[in-house]
Amino acid sequence: MKLRTRGRTTLTAYLLLTPAIIGFLFLTFLPILGVIGISLTNWTGLQPPDYIGLENYRAIFTTDFYFKNSVVATLSFAVGTTLTSIIYSFTVALMLNQKKIPGRGLWRSLFFLPYVVPIIGSSIVWSWMYESNFGVFNYLLSMLGGNKIQWLQDERFAMPSIILMMTWMSGNLIVIFLAGLQSVPRTYLEAVEVDGGNFWHKFRHITFPMMSPVIFYNFLTSIIINLQGFVPAYALTKGGPSDSTLLMVYLIYREGFMRNNFGHASALSLLFFLFVAVLTVLVFTTSKRWTFYEGE
Amino acid sequence: MKMMKDEKELTMGAELFRVKEPKAQSRKAMFSKVNASLVIVLAVMVVFPFFWMVRSSFMSNLEIHQYPPLFLPKNWRFDNYSYTLTVFPFGRYFLNTLTIAIPSMFGVLLTSSLAAYTFARLEFPGKKFWFTLVIGSMLMPGAVFIIPIFMAWSSVGLSNSYIPLIVPAFLGGGGLNIFLIRQFMMTIPREMDEAAYIDGATHLDILFRLLLPMIKPVLITVGLLTFILYWNDLMGPLIYISRNERNTISQALANFRSGFGTDWRAIMVASTMSILPSVFIYFIGQKYFVEGIVLTGLK
Repeated sequence: MKLRTRGRTTLTAYLLLTPAIIGFLFLTFLPILGVIGISLTNWTGLQPPDYIGLENYRAIFTTDFYFKNSVVATLSFAVGTTLTSIIYSFTVALMLNQKKIPGRGLWRSLFFLPYVVPIIGSSIVWSWMYESNFGVFNYLLSMLGGNKIQWLQDERFAMPSIILMMTWMSGNLIVIFLAGLQSVPRTYLEAVEVDGGNFWHKFRHITFPMMSPVIFYNFLTSIIINLQGFVPAYALTKGGPSDSTLLMVYLIYREGFMRNNFGHASALSLLFFLFVAVLTVLVFTTSKRWTFYEGE
Repeated sequence: MKMMKDEKELTMGAELFRVKEPKAQSRKAMFSKVNASLVIVLAVMVVFPFFWMVRSSFMSNLEIHQYPPLFLPKNWRFDNYSYTLTVFPFGRYFLNTLTIAIPSMFGVLLTSSLAAYTFARLEFPGKKFWFTLVIGSMLMPGAVFIIPIFMAWSSVGLSNSYIPLIVPAFLGGGGLNIFLIRQFMMTIPREMDEAAYIDGATHLDILFRLLLPMIKPVLITVGLLTFILYWNDLMGPLIYISRNERNTISQALANFRSGFGTDWRAIMVASTMSILPSVFIYFIGQKYFVEGIVLTGLK
């Protein structure tokens, strides 16, 4: 009797999990095998593919200068965006968390807004603000006495320009940090105050140490998410100038879907997959060690 | 209760402080004022791009190309909108996007609830294995799978349709969503479903009639975040939809921008219209968005 109900529970469990298991098989497991398989061919989608062994990989590491440029661009985009976003968001969250901020909820929603709208819409207005002849950025610069800059066409400025836009979009982190800050016990902060401590003392000895696990966790997840950036390269720069914003996912998209080099694009995908997968596993297996919440 | 007592003690402490150190107190008031003004300045800067978009959408191309830039249009050209609608059929793109986003949201809610229930309530061999696999696999960078998945859809003749965009939503619903819903289900005492089970309820009864109604807020949160994700998606439609009249809003906007590259007033009108639905949904469901984002960042 007992055994029969257990068997039925197992059956029910697997029935309920069927969509997720099918999803795992068809959206993750088989595609990985597919990527490996296609990466060993010269498939262009037009004629049947030829097996060419590791030729695509050899090309990537020797003759394909896009790959190297893309690694540099992707890493600087991910690290740059993450660092500036964290600093910006944490600062704003700290400011919003001070006492006597009237209408905190309203400000919070305004800072969060850029995160929710379609990124292509934001990219378009930012590209107009960056426009070198009529854009507001150059107008501000000229008021300060500077010369006009080709924000998105100059390889020194294209990446920082994109990072600035991404930072503007990171309102989600403000919301996260603000929630974290509000759970820092007031009693601790007041204790510092009673001892005559100022803002810096409170920050240095209470707020920052208590928030550091949250900051670190969001730092790592943001890096993983930003490594997969696509739209800024697609919409603002097409990967240029001189490949300075050639994000890896954009490169894979371009090789695969605009140039039909499916074999080459798959080899890129696999390398990128391994890199992100290793990083992700590292983050989530070690996360128990450095995330600490009071009361746990 | 304890909290209130603490607060009371705190204010008492602060009052003592004020009596002792009037200078420090006025410096603190100063600090608050400076801080509040900085918040306002920053908020104005953050809203500026939206303002710039809307303001440009009411200008003539001549005014948009004026230097130094005009702050506001001299004549508000409301007919920019009716003009743009003739070259950028927003209504159609809007319906196309809904056609993808609504079933996808439904699929994510349904299948992630099923999986969450299994992982929260049922004991079965292989549970840990599948949990790790299902949650872990969905953390993987999706972009690397686009080529084989595209090939697969293409080999069954569906690569130029909405099917490849909608079907994945019905296949598990995303690791993070499963995880969130499971966490909330686990806060409901098991005795409740055991009682229902003894009364003859099936697992589906327990899930749909008992548990899901009790965790409605997290379902709304997951639903809204999913909806916005599909609503704003660009890469999926770029890969799977080619005919213009089938485009989603984001995709149509991207194409419109490259096709009408010089007609900035129309581009700004199209951009303004394209961000409006997201802004609208956000302000309606703000509470749930904020909760959802906090959950993803503090877990």
